[in-house]
Amino acid sequence: MAPMPTTAFREINSKMVEATVVPGRVVYSQRGAMLAYRGDVTFTPNIQGGQGGLASMLGRRVANEATPLMTVEGSGTVMFGHGGHHVHVIALSGDTLYVEADRLLAFDGTLRQGTVFLGEQGGVMGLVRGQFTGQGLFTTSLQGHGSAAVMAHGGVIEVPITPGRPVHVDPQAYVAHHGDVRNKLSAALGWREMVGRGSGEGFQLELSGSGAVYVQASEKKL
Amino acid sequence: MPIVASSPWGPVGAPSPTATFDLVAVFRLQGSRMLAVEMAGDSVKAKNGSMVAYDGRMAFKRLTGGGEGIRGMMTRRIAGERMTVMEVKGEGTCWFADRASQINLVELRGEKLYVEASNLLCTQSGLRTGTTFTGLRGAAQGNGLFTTTVEGHGQAAIMSDGPAVVLRVSRDHPLTVDPGAYVAHQGSLRQTFQSGAGFRTLMGEGGGEAVQILFEGDGLVYVQPSERDTIAGDV
Repeated sequence: MAPMPTTAFREINSKMVEATVVPGRVVYSQRGAMLAYRGDVTFTPNIQGGQGGLASMLGRRVANEATPLMTVEGSGTVMFGHGGHHVHVIALSGDTLYVEADRLLAFDGTLRQGTVFLGEQGGVMGLVRGQFTGQGLFTTSLQGHGSAAVMAHGGVIEVPITPGRPVHVDPQAYVAHHGDVRNKLSAALGWREMVGRGSGEGFQLELSGSGAVYVQASEKKL
Repeated sequence: MPIVASSPWGPVGAPSPTATFDLVAVFRLQGSRMLAVEMAGDSVKAKNGSMVAYDGRMAFKRLTGGGEGIRGMMTRRIAGERMTVMEVKGEGTCWFADRASQINLVELRGEKLYVEASNLLCTQSGLRTGTTFTGLRGAAQGNGLFTTTVEGHGQAAIMSDGPAVVLRVSRDHPLTVDPGAYVAHQGSLRQTFQSGAGFRTLMGEGGGEAVQILFEGDGLVYVQPSERDTIAGDV
């Protein structure tokens, strides 16, 4: 993938990214995820856990999407990585990325961060979905122009979603999605599942609309 | 007889060699840890629960006893070579992955592949699976006395902890492998169990390589850059 002008992140290898920080352009990252840096860079713990002032902070606290973040400022380059997980850079050009807060390694300060109530999508099934995937009831959204570095266990593939061709994902392998996508939990339960002889694929996330979903090569949570 | 094995070291994201047959699912590696299978109404057998995503229409059905019939099921029960397999049937692309293991594609043209059930991810419909007695080697690998065989024409996807290397064994070049690093083998190979244990091992000064498997004959051995816990690993 050719680096876009809005992208501050560069993948060094499959598990490390390098961010370029220039004055006036902030990068947010998970606290403690810095591995090395060059230049004159400062790291400030971000008590609010991101952007948006006090109300947003409270929102995240309530939603349990308050992963400790830090603000990275100055001029130089910073390398990020965490826990030996694979890192994938996702570039956004105006659309919205939905990702779990604890999978978010770092993101551009130009992106607008928010918290989304999953129950808004898919009603009751949305709530059940959150419980099943271990995601809880809320997820983090990032919107605007810029890029985000997302962590996953094992590499990530991007599966495009086009209208009329929904994509089904194992809830445990789901990492993130972007675009105008509706998602719902579909249950393919038959008598086999009831007697404990299921195929292990009883629950699936069905994503439809247009956009893309990121899937990791593992059924393990971070 | 030429034996074709696909290289497990393909660059990430590059399409790997695939074989196309009429109405047979096409196996393709996407990265080194994700297997993409394109299907057009046909079916593949895969490890239970290993689907991570699909588009199109797919149906998942658990195959009792690995789809090997009553006799195969009984053998498996007795052998303890437990393998839960599902049949995936449909149209579209289905992606498989398991615990971020590296995936290697193996093409079989009538010969037999020996692999641990836990390392077998997916097989094309033209392949039959079964169980075979391995003897002492299995015990040394920490895998039990039985192993799984895959036979027929088609592709199989096997998993390894780290990228596996494919080592050729010929009449003049036998190969010795650490039981914990052995993943699979194919071709007509004879295996002998070797003990490198000597006086020093008994004194607790062993090199950690007291047990080895010697492969002789003609075929390929898949070796992973990691060692399972084996009884012999400590001595």
